[in-house]
Amino acid sequence: MYALSVGLLVALWTLASVLIEVVRGRAYLPNPIVALSEVVRLGPMLFRHFWISAWRLVLAILIAFFAGYPLGLLIGHERKLDQLISPMIYLVYPIPQVAFVLLLFIVFGIGEPVKVAIVAIALFFQLLVSARGAAKLIEQEHVTSVLSAGGSRWQIYRHVVLPATLPPILTSLRVSVGLGMAFLYIAETSGPARGGLGVYVKETMVYSPPPAFAGILAMAVLGSCLYLIIEIIERLACRWKYVGRNALLVAAERALQRWRSNRS
Amino acid sequence: MISLRHVTVEYGTGSTMVRAVDDVSLDIPPGESLALIGPSGCGKTTLLFSIAGLTPITAGEILVHDVPVKGPRREMALILQNAGLLPWKTVAQNANLSLLLSKQYPGRTADAVLDDLGLGTVKRRYPSELSEGMKRRVGIARALSTSPSAMLMDEPLASLDTLTRERIQDQFLELWQQHGFTLLLVTHDMEEAAFLAQRIVVLSERPARIVQIVENPHMGRQDYRSDDAFRGVLSELRGALMS
Repeated sequence: MYALSVGLLVALWTLASVLIEVVRGRAYLPNPIVALSEVVRLGPMLFRHFWISAWRLVLAILIAFFAGYPLGLLIGHERKLDQLISPMIYLVYPIPQVAFVLLLFIVFGIGEPVKVAIVAIALFFQLLVSARGAAKLIEQEHVTSVLSAGGSRWQIYRHVVLPATLPPILTSLRVSVGLGMAFLYIAETSGPARGGLGVYVKETMVYSPPPAFAGILAMAVLGSCLYLIIEIIERLACRWKYVGRNALLVAAERALQRWRSNRS
Repeated sequence: MISLRHVTVEYGTGSTMVRAVDDVSLDIPPGESLALIGPSGCGKTTLLFSIAGLTPITAGEILVHDVPVKGPRREMALILQNAGLLPWKTVAQNANLSLLLSKQYPGRTADAVLDDLGLGTVKRRYPSELSEGMKRRVGIARALSTSPSAMLMDEPLASLDTLTRERIQDQFLELWQQHGFTLLLVTHDMEEAAFLAQRIVVLSERPARIVQIVENPHMGRQDYRSDDAFRGVLSELRGALMS
């Protein structure tokens, strides 16, 4: 099925390439074979840009995760903190983070840190809001279970809040990879060029589409690799989610039990 | 001895204030099995949670061995409605949770209890892989792991099919007789109360007040359900709940 999906994408890409060439009289969109051969031809140089981008994106994801996740959990689980901080978040969150790019250049200068900061800030808000939401959805029964066994506040975080919120936060992180790639492009193409796939694609697109599409392919590979790594981490860290019966069947069974319970 | 002296529990403040329990006084001697029965939402779970130290009381006092209850106590184990199992922990980890949290029992595990309850082969499984009956038994294993002097149960067998419910009731009875702990059961199932409790406290609609205490001296046998005394107690309970 995966092979079929990739095959379909390649076919659609080829079709689009042919159509554009027929309509515009020039191959603005290189076909997949041309793009792939460019990847091979540009190998080492493209690889250098790939690593620069990968390093920036991974660092930004780690900063956003380790700042946004714990803070989101605290806000979601501690009512007073929620009342204090949530209004601020909801005022700042809807502002497009692109609006802060110039400010970040002023604060961080034009070096490497600003490129990581642009991506990290965008992902931070995404993860913060997700973690807060996940913490608010924790079943009270699980908290009561630990409390009644004499669990402390820290033990509630350790045994309930962290494991209960890990699957939704990892899903959110996976979804955020796309957002991170978009902001990486913005960060790399803003300010002076210091390498990275974004700036490589922007510069080559102007005079020759095939090398640019080799860069876009490399970006797709980077995004897919991160997506896959996060999914593997999720499957290892949240094994309990992937065992037993079909999750839909379990949910249906619970609904039926609740209905029976209400009737009795 | 668990003693309740004029216990009142209220939620909220001002116009949103709700009185859940109103002036309840009761003595539960060590080793007794007692059931709190009443209509749904009457406040019986609130009262149980107050005894467990999870819900603060507004007035009166709750004493366990003459010591006021200020919070959860390790000698009192609570079994929740859906067993309260943590889905991310295996059966063994769930059963050992109370031991792990307290750190008062180094080296002790719930393995023997799990084996006794017929869960020895599923120790490495997650709750989502178990039947509802098995989940309830894991909840019992967790409660028993610390050898509590009192077992507080909040509708522990709700939403189970009749056969499974009766099987686990039989197991409860056996464990109570074997371990001698105080058993405090909250239920809205009259048959469950009549089978498991020596005394059944009938509570009113919210706020919960004691309407009647039904004595059930002949309970304690596995075949009690087919006894005339059992039917007599059921009839008395029905009368008290309808009044």
